[in-house]
Amino acid sequence: MLDVEDLSVSYGAVQALQGVTFQAREGTVTAVLGANGAGKTTLLRTVSGLVKRQSGNVSYGGVELTGLSVENIVRLGISHVPEGRGVIEELTIDENLRLGTLWQFGRQERRSVLDEIYELFPQLAQRKRRMASTLSGGERQMLAIGRALSSKPKLLLLDEPSLGLAPLVTAQIMALIQELARETRLTVVLVEQNVRSALSIAEEAVVINLGRVVIADTAASVAADTELRHLYLGF
Amino acid sequence: MLRHLLLGAVAAFGFYILTSAISSFNDFRVGEIAVYAIALAGLSLLTGTNGQISLGQGAFMAVGAYTLGVLMTHTHLPLVVDVLAAIGLSGALGLVVGMPATRLKGPYLAGMTLILALGLPRIADKYSTFFGGDQGLTVNSPTPPGTIDPQRWLSWIEIVGAIVVLILLANLTRSRFGRSFRAVRDDEIAAGLSGIHVARTKVLAFTVAASCAGLAGAFLGLSVGVVNTGEFSLTLSIYLLAGMVLGGAGSLVGAWWGAIVLVFMPGWSTSIANSFNLGSAVGANLALVVFGLVLIVVIMAAPMGIQGGIGWLGRRALSLVGGGVPAPGAPTPRQEGNEPVGSIPSIPPPAAPAAPARNIREQS
Amino acid sequence: MSLFINLTLNGITNGMIFAAVALGLVFIWRATHIVNFSQGSMAMFTTYIAVTLLDRHINYWLVFAAALVAGLVMGGVIEVVLIRPLRGKHALNPVIVTLGLFILLEGLAGSIFGVGNRSFPPAFSQAGLTFGHSTIAFSHFDLFILAAVVILMLGTLVLFRATNMGLRMRAAAFAPEVARLLGVRVGRILTLGWALAAVAGSLAGLLVAPTVSFSPNFMDLILVYAFTAAVVGGLDSPVGALVGGLVTGLSLSYVGGYLGSSLEPLGALAILMVVLSARPEGIFSRPAPRRV
Ligand SMILES: Nc1ncnc2c1ncn2[C@@H]1O[C@H](COP(=O)(O)OP(=O)(O)OP(=O)(O)O)[C@@H](O)[C@H]1O
Ligand SMILES: [Mg+2]
Repeated sequence: MLDVEDLSVSYGAVQALQGVTFQAREGTVTAVLGANGAGKTTLLRTVSGLVKRQSGNVSYGGVELTGLSVENIVRLGISHVPEGRGVIEELTIDENLRLGTLWQFGRQERRSVLDEIYELFPQLAQRKRRMASTLSGGERQMLAIGRALSSKPKLLLLDEPSLGLAPLVTAQIMALIQELARETRLTVVLVEQNVRSALSIAEEAVVINLGRVVIADTAASVAADTELRHLYLGF
Repeated sequence: MLRHLLLGAVAAFGFYILTSAISSFNDFRVGEIAVYAIALAGLSLLTGTNGQISLGQGAFMAVGAYTLGVLMTHTHLPLVVDVLAAIGLSGALGLVVGMPATRLKGPYLAGMTLILALGLPRIADKYSTFFGGDQGLTVNSPTPPGTIDPQRWLSWIEIVGAIVVLILLANLTRSRFGRSFRAVRDDEIAAGLSGIHVARTKVLAFTVAASCAGLAGAFLGLSVGVVNTGEFSLTLSIYLLAGMVLGGAGSLVGAWWGAIVLVFMPGWSTSIANSFNLGSAVGANLALVVFGLVLIVVIMAAPMGIQGGIGWLGRRALSLVGGGVPAPGAPTPRQEGNEPVGSIPSIPPPAAPAAPARNIREQS
Repeated sequence: MSLFINLTLNGITNGMIFAAVALGLVFIWRATHIVNFSQGSMAMFTTYIAVTLLDRHINYWLVFAAALVAGLVMGGVIEVVLIRPLRGKHALNPVIVTLGLFILLEGLAGSIFGVGNRSFPPAFSQAGLTFGHSTIAFSHFDLFILAAVVILMLGTLVLFRATNMGLRMRAAAFAPEVARLLGVRVGRILTLGWALAAVAGSLAGLLVAPTVSFSPNFMDLILVYAFTAAVVGGLDSPVGALVGGLVTGLSLSYVGGYLGSSLEPLGALAILMVVLSARPEGIFSRPAPRRV
């Protein structure tokens, strides 16, 4: 379980997060919603150690994350697909995928893990040796998610996976996320602008506004709260 | 503007008293300090204010010195013309070399000026009949009016020159151009987006720095009486960088501190080596070691240099006098947090723990 | 005609040495986006260590290996102690530190080993090879230089293209943050980059030393020529370093042979000005994909 408690983060004078508290339970999808600049990306980056907190605590499975380096947080089984996907264009697709496996798997295991990923995303399997820069937006998203999965994570942090994708592809990716959470007990924290699709697959939802949690409740009750939706989610 | 002029007048009067009170050899020293202050002020503007680095400040001094030497040897123009030509030619060379380098982001200016520092002395050696070869070119110092000691007269000229240059640079950094210099240093892309012509701004800063070096070189030639390549090695360029960093990058007052250290350090290090019986090999190399350490230690531990340290001490003293109330602009304890993007760049880091960067950079 | 041939051969040999130093600059540029102006001094220092060991009559190849190891350690230590603390600061800060290191190492070498010129025995004969009645400006030692640099280049190629460490290094160079999110210990990779760069430099120092009578600043010019080579090759491409090294070596050899050796530095300056004006990204780098 991911446990964020009273977390505050600042960039110089900008207070990006203030007293954020919420939990993400094992095997569930937790949607993190909010307007542009609300602090969603900052939240994920703080969990994965890219950004230093000002105060508060983040722990995962009882292990305190604050103070650990990014590399060591990854080694606890936390995978972060950054905003804008973070596909490394100068590497081939296979190299991108392999990179996520290097820290834990031997040669044999690595092959079988990559085969699983290619099975999940057959589009990628056909062009293993092509540079990642030749991929379309949707394919890049698949590569980014596939790469995050290639380390067999227990917690997956996704930052706007639907960004720039056609509705059909978005739906596919959402379905995949839901399936992964249900079947492999993966914990997912899903940051989304696409509120409807996020709420449709999430069990829990956290709404952030100007760095503060407005509400943290079940996805169903957030979706049912008309006033909340009008005020913060724009539909 | 008026403030700078007043400051300049006070400084000139101070130097007048000083040179009247000391011996002729010390006049020479004071003059040398003024000369180095000119070169350092230019470099400080380039590096501290504009965020570029030049390893060729010594080479541009050589251009200035040789221009003066050649004109004096081969023509009979008034000294003022020779000196102006020295400034002009070194500035022009700066423009030519700087143009391709400063158009680009990255380390190109540093590399090209490094080549210049290594390569220019060889030109003088190759065309030795024109440039005087090993002996160098003889330079006559100006004849003083009346009974004034020639050495003292020359150091007055150099001091006045230095004060004029520093006043001009102080006004330049306060002007529209100064703001562009800083904007380009802090974030080239943002500066470009806000309508600043980035390449032109960088070339301008580099040309100004090279012109300052040209004047300093011409003055140095006058002081020493000869111009030869031995004086303008790569080492000089790097010493100048060390003096600038030590004085305080971007600070025109800091240029004076750096100049004082540059003038006295070689003597100090030789006497240190002698008094500790370190041997001649160490004696000859101690200055290199010291300046190398200066560059490393200042950047790592005290990037605001001497002048920044003085400002910090001054504010500390003020705040103590004021009953422990922090003076306006005094450092607030740094909270745990993240650097806002776009504010990281600057030689004296904006979040320097000891002193707010504004105070460091805007000193003049 | 024979002058031309000899200048060409000489240019190739020199170019390979420039390429080795340039490769070091490229390693460091890729890892930390710094031009390491102390690259030459570091090589000078390990060469002095080597010649000191040779004075003690230690086996030549053992000394050779020791100098390379000394470079490896030196590069790594410098990255950890001097460069790492400056991460996130303005790019000028580490550059100034490398310049400080540049003169610090020369001053230390002068203090410890003396400023007088030293000589370094070559591994192989330096007499020009003879074909029939004519002798060309190419010796067994030059052949050794070529072989050593070719091995260095091939090693680099294999490292980058065929090993997991190379994959990590490329990822860390192109996208350090993403690499960290994928578990790559980027800090260590940067240290490794500096260490390998120093090895390439040390090798160059050992190859240059027998051809000159050397003193603490014997690598200064080689550093600027290597910088020229690296810029010609695009600063971030190992293959570019090789091509840039050969272009620079040949051009400067012709300049030196036909116009006079004191014009070589200006030749390098001219090459830089032409390349930067015409093709700023270097003649050998693929156009960088635009990043936003
Ligand atoms: N590196 C940074 N430096 C300074 N301020 C930053 C930085 N990153 C984010 N901010 C500020 O912090 C606040 C939160 O930003 P964040 O990126 O977390 O928002 P977000 O919710 O992800 O927005 P979006 O939906 O647009 O991606 C914003 O006001 C933003 O301007
Ligand atoms: Mg975001």
